[in-house]
Amino acid sequence: MRFLTPAFLAGLAALAIPVLIHLINRERRVVVQFPSLMFLQKIPYKSVRRQKLRHLLLLALRCLALVLLVGAFARPFLERRALGGAALLGARERVILLDRSYSMGYGDHWKRAQDAAKAAVRDLAQADRAMLVLFANDASANTTPTANHAAVERAVDAATVSAEGTRYAPALKLAAQIFAGSNLPRREVVLISDFQNVGWNHRDDVRLPPGTVMTTVDVAGGPGREMAVAQVTTDRDREARGDGRDRVTVAARLTNTGAQPRTVDVTLELGGRVAESKRVTAPASGAVQVRFAPTVVPATATRGTVRIPTDALAANDAFHFTMASDDAVSVLVIEPARARANQSLFLARALAIGDRPTFRVDVRPVGAVTTAALAGRSLVVLNEVAPPAGALGQRLRDLVAAGAGLLIAPGDLRAETWPAEWRALLPVRLGAVVDRTGTAGGTLASVNYGHPVFELFAAPHSGDFSTAHLFRYRALTVPLDSGVIARFDDGAPALVERAAGQGKIVLWASTLDAYWTDLPLQPVFLPLVHELAKYAGRYSDARAWFTAGDVLDLSRHGELTSAFRAALARDTTSGAAPLVLESPSGTRTRLDPAGPQHLAELREQGFYELRGPATPVGSGRPIAVNVDLAESDLSRFDPRALVAAVTAPPGPGAAAASDAAVLPEEIERRQTTWWYLLLAALILMAAETVLSNRLSRSSS
Amino acid sequence: MTAVAPEPVNFLDPAVLARIGSLELLARVVVEGFINGLHRSPHLGSSTDFAEHRAYMPGDDIRRIDWRLWARSDRFYVKEFEAETNTNFLAVLDVSRSMRYRGSGSDATAVSKLEYGSFLAAALSYFSSKQRDRVGLATFDGELVEYVPPSAKHLERVLQGLQRACQTPAAAGRQPSAVSPQPSDSPPPSAVRRLPAATLLPPLKKLSESTRRRCIIALISDLYEEPDAVMDALAHLHGRGNDIVVFHLLDRTELEFPFTDASNFIDLESGDRMPVIPDYLRRQYRELVAQHTAALARRTREARVDYALFDTSKPLDTALFAYLSSRQRLSRVR
Repeated sequence: MRFLTPAFLAGLAALAIPVLIHLINRERRVVVQFPSLMFLQKIPYKSVRRQKLRHLLLLALRCLALVLLVGAFARPFLERRALGGAALLGARERVILLDRSYSMGYGDHWKRAQDAAKAAVRDLAQADRAMLVLFANDASANTTPTANHAAVERAVDAATVSAEGTRYAPALKLAAQIFAGSNLPRREVVLISDFQNVGWNHRDDVRLPPGTVMTTVDVAGGPGREMAVAQVTTDRDREARGDGRDRVTVAARLTNTGAQPRTVDVTLELGGRVAESKRVTAPASGAVQVRFAPTVVPATATRGTVRIPTDALAANDAFHFTMASDDAVSVLVIEPARARANQSLFLARALAIGDRPTFRVDVRPVGAVTTAALAGRSLVVLNEVAPPAGALGQRLRDLVAAGAGLLIAPGDLRAETWPAEWRALLPVRLGAVVDRTGTAGGTLASVNYGHPVFELFAAPHSGDFSTAHLFRYRALTVPLDSGVIARFDDGAPALVERAAGQGKIVLWASTLDAYWTDLPLQPVFLPLVHELAKYAGRYSDARAWFTAGDVLDLSRHGELTSAFRAALARDTTSGAAPLVLESPSGTRTRLDPAGPQHLAELREQGFYELRGPATPVGSGRPIAVNVDLAESDLSRFDPRALVAAVTAPPGPGAAAASDAAVLPEEIERRQTTWWYLLLAALILMAAETVLSNRLSRSSS
Repeated sequence: MTAVAPEPVNFLDPAVLARIGSLELLARVVVEGFINGLHRSPHLGSSTDFAEHRAYMPGDDIRRIDWRLWARSDRFYVKEFEAETNTNFLAVLDVSRSMRYRGSGSDATAVSKLEYGSFLAAALSYFSSKQRDRVGLATFDGELVEYVPPSAKHLERVLQGLQRACQTPAAAGRQPSAVSPQPSDSPPPSAVRRLPAATLLPPLKKLSESTRRRCIIALISDLYEEPDAVMDALAHLHGRGNDIVVFHLLDRTELEFPFTDASNFIDLESGDRMPVIPDYLRRQYRELVAQHTAALARRTREARVDYALFDTSKPLDTALFAYLSSRQRLSRVR
């Protein structure tokens, strides 16, 4: 509280006068020699005390009236921070940022956070607006700014802990956006969290508007103590025992942040059943490795979980993963009936090297290719052969439309003889052969390193295409709906692609052997062929698990949809997205790997299931999602550092809602506290008058 | 005998008279007004003034036989003369410390209760002396201090005794006694030298044994005792056939308790101290005083004792009216 005219407070010194008089009178008590105390001694002493008390009341009334009178003249007023509720200077816009990362599930943190959020709502006055923002990896406004505080409280009650990690920047940026659109003069942020270190990056450039008051509520109180399954690895051992069956060894790393060693039973579950259990002891503030016995890789994608007993933070006590069956990419290379010697050798040999992925290459002369040979192929290579016609051609087109890839190296073939259906699908219009044998040959000069085919070569010293010489290649005319992935040094397209249904058709302007180019003899040939085959065959590294908060792009995870290609190829007429992704909680999302609905957010921990059009529930492709293990690091930072980083003191041009912008006289004039003090003083004086008159009458 | 009719007279305020001089003059001046137009005393005595005959009884002095009446009536009668029927007047004055109170502060008056009582006693003595009554004086302060037996020649001694009473310091000889118990609901007094309070009973009892003849006794005191104790003390005198007039003297401050400041009140008799906030106690004090004086008036009336309450701030004339009323009653009895 401040005073406009504090000099009047000197009047409070007058309060000492009656007290001094009382004390002085007590000290200088008059001595009266009286003839006899006979009658005085008969008066009961109790009545003396009662009357004394009444006079003390009188003294108190007079003193209080004096205090109120002096206070009224001193013109007091309250500054904005001393006021709660509806402001003197306007209503408040309060944004409540509620951390719902999975670390908030530790102990009773979440309950305390909800209570704090509701308390922040109840603290508001009627005119104030509140908004609830739930955040973990990102932030979402759960309500619109509203004066309906009950609705905000209900939203708090309905909120639950997520499986995601913590990031403060998105929440604070959202709060800043909310304030930017607010017309209320006062802005407040209440941040309720456990303030984990991992959530705040000092490089995050977030600033709240000047004058914003930020309050933090720390629900943690201290670093957590618990165990977690921090990591699981699956090492595949192909045909280790010579029985043609791959085996996988599951290993898990457990962490213990407690101050004491802990002994726990670690369980490996496969396909929903306990496969093995081990008892291990994790040292205090340390980790321990657990290795399970090798197990045969199931024929189909199988769910796996490494689990420890539930503790204070249950989310990281289980780690989910999937074990996929053989993920080899099946490649069919179709070469002419009278192929050149080693026409497909370089390609086949390059694809045969490596096991991530494994390429199962089948080279066949065009006459030996049947529709059965196309079954299950991820990539078909037409090595200087024309696309087949008839049923075989149709089957091939269907396979491509279902998601397989088609790599065409036309050589010197003339596309005019090709079936019209194929000509329509080609990504280019084939031109004449460009002969550069008279020179040193052309080179791949312009490469799109952002393209998945050449991403691997983006880093320096990852592959030099300038060493390869291309002596002959076809001139290509590229329509607008095709994409040029690489060009020769003369600008002519070298590698062009075009989508065909859910698959891709990629055309290489030169040959795949050393007939027209020495590219197959260069070190970059092998990785280029691998990347090209993976891209065209829509292969992506099979992920044993995802992290909550990841976005699943089915267009880039062919291993997840490979089981449904046949069904997808058949079902091309319905307009609905053909695949269903069901979350652990039962929420279903329709997805189309080749359409616009190919993205899905994986927000829940556990196993999602991707099912085809006719796939029974429980028989789909499992997709494991785990919590962000970085969130298991419960170390904390000082919330004040965050407040200091994102808030700024009101600048010279700050909004008028700031106290500094409003004169004290104006504040006092609006509050008129002096009027109430004066009225109270007058009432007390009237009461004192009545009481003193009564006492005088009773005395006389 | 003819009843004395009181006549309105103007008396000087004792406060004014105090400036004049000796007590005798004061008494003479005060009383002269009564003497004017006063009829002869109804008293009989051994003077030469014949008063009346009465039948001879064996043992009478034969010199008093009226032989002429025997010659006429052949019966023996003796003569009664005026001197034989003069009464005794005894002023009994309380000279205790409480009587020396003369008010307090701005309420202080020029005369104390003792001085006022002395004036009253002197005036009554002088008046009685003019009536050829025998006058005497007894002063007491818990016990008899001075005793002047009633005599026709003792007026001077009475006045001198009154002079000494006023001039003598109060209670120089009495020793402190044990602390008397306080009422249970009263605050304990502070530890100061406490003297026994003066009481009426011992001196009045002794006085009753000293007086052989019937007297008019004017008891002049502030009567700071319970009515029962006062009546017990008076009973000794009254039982001897004395006529008692009680003059209850109180200062105005004792009656109204006009004090305002919180003060330590000291009992002049006992020395007890008591912190008093007058505003708190005034009403109840006045009630107690009124109850006390009313009780005394009732009890004395029942005992056929005259009682008069006097405010020492008022003139002395009213005191004399009380005395004359008493005298009137006495004459009707005869």
